[in-house]
Amino acid sequence: MFLGTYAFLSILATRGDSVKSEIRYKPAFATLFITLKPGEKLVAEAGAMASMAGQLSMKTEFFGGLLPGLMKSFFGGESLFVNVFSNASQQPQELVLTQASIGDIVRIEINGNEMCFQPGAYIAHTPGVKVELQWAGFASWFAGEGLFKLKMGGKGVVFCGAYGGLSEVRVQDELIVDNGHLVAYEPKIRMNIKLSGGLIGSVTSGEGFVNRVSGRGKIYLQSRSVDGLVRFLRPKLRG
Amino acid sequence: MKLDLLHQPDSAIAKITMAPQEELVAEAGAMVAMSPYMNVSTTLRQGKGGGILGGLKRMVAGESLFLSVFRSGNSDAELFLAPKLMGDILPYQLKGTELVVQSTGYMASTPQVDIDLGFQGFKSLFSGESLFWLSMSGSGVVLLSAFGAIYEIDVAGEYVVDTGHIVAFEKTLDFSISKANPSWIGSFLGGEGLVCRFRGQGKVFCQTHNPGAFGQLVGSKLPPR
Repeated sequence: MFLGTYAFLSILATRGDSVKSEIRYKPAFATLFITLKPGEKLVAEAGAMASMAGQLSMKTEFFGGLLPGLMKSFFGGESLFVNVFSNASQQPQELVLTQASIGDIVRIEINGNEMCFQPGAYIAHTPGVKVELQWAGFASWFAGEGLFKLKMGGKGVVFCGAYGGLSEVRVQDELIVDNGHLVAYEPKIRMNIKLSGGLIGSVTSGEGFVNRVSGRGKIYLQSRSVDGLVRFLRPKLRG
Repeated sequence: MKLDLLHQPDSAIAKITMAPQEELVAEAGAMVAMSPYMNVSTTLRQGKGGGILGGLKRMVAGESLFLSVFRSGNSDAELFLAPKLMGDILPYQLKGTELVVQSTGYMASTPQVDIDLGFQGFKSLFSGESLFWLSMSGSGVVLLSAFGAIYEIDVAGEYVVDTGHIVAFEKTLDFSISKANPSWIGSFLGGEGLVCRFRGQGKVFCQTHNPGAFGQLVGSKLPPR
């Protein structure tokens, strides 16, 4: 009976594909403290590792193979490479991951549902998660958000980050969103990127591209945008 | 001398209340406010290591450090110090052990602390972070500053830290700069470049965010100067 329980638990462990994580220093400096169990693996964006136990091993791979990696890099705005961290030791080991921008990080459980990510939002995922590219359209490309979006499906956990705080918003019917603040969305939600109010209006109002999202599902918004910071800094650099 | 840290961790500022005839050394530019009768002077520390090679090394590493010395004079005085970037401040009490601080991680120290510009050899140049280390010894308090929060790791065995995330570490640790990956190509493509591998017993202080990475995120969108 004891063995039976053990077998059952180990099945749970392999099927669960749920990594132990803690997000500290929320919301301004959110940082991922991951504990990898023996044999466990985690895939992370290139450059995301801040520190780790010496017993963990790290291997660089193309993001989903060479060709898909190239596609993700050129069209999805993500880096071409990911690092795979694995624990070959007999004890749990710590891994600390972070993002380039300051701000919040969320843990998203993927279990039958899917989630799309804007360029730069992705930080890490467990190996059970399937990464695909989803066509985003030319409007998205014009808005500087890439022709394709990263789509995560399968089963596991995805971590994504933002500049500023992260708000989970439930779209019931329609919502207009500034494109620079959109971080992630469920693929069943339709995107419709437009200039906010004609060409001249968009330029003068500073709103640029707005996104009329429609459907039912979850989206994540960041409370600041890097483009906003860049627009603030640019005139100050002259002279 | 009394130290209060306000607005931690995101916008930390150090409020230092000094008794008469006290002294504090700080990184130039860190002063936010001070009592009017505070006496301030500037010193320039130059790295040790004479000879042509020593001079060359210093030039390559850009090793020189302007420090401000604050003296309270005949009465009590108040001093506010803050780093440039958003982030935390950590006081470290020196007790005989040496502390190695990454130059950007140093903010201030009490006068009994000896500051040495240490150079860890050419290997640290390849990391692209222009690592230059300050070696702190003696006794007193060192104020460390970071981009982001500071977390402390008690190393027992082996621990790896990305070079952009090191604030300081105790000299009891043995350290080597190495590639994060077994292969050179993987190491550079993987974005982790070089890492510090610490061995032995001691503390490492890491910052949660990498100033270089944030600079690249924003800087790549700005027009060239």
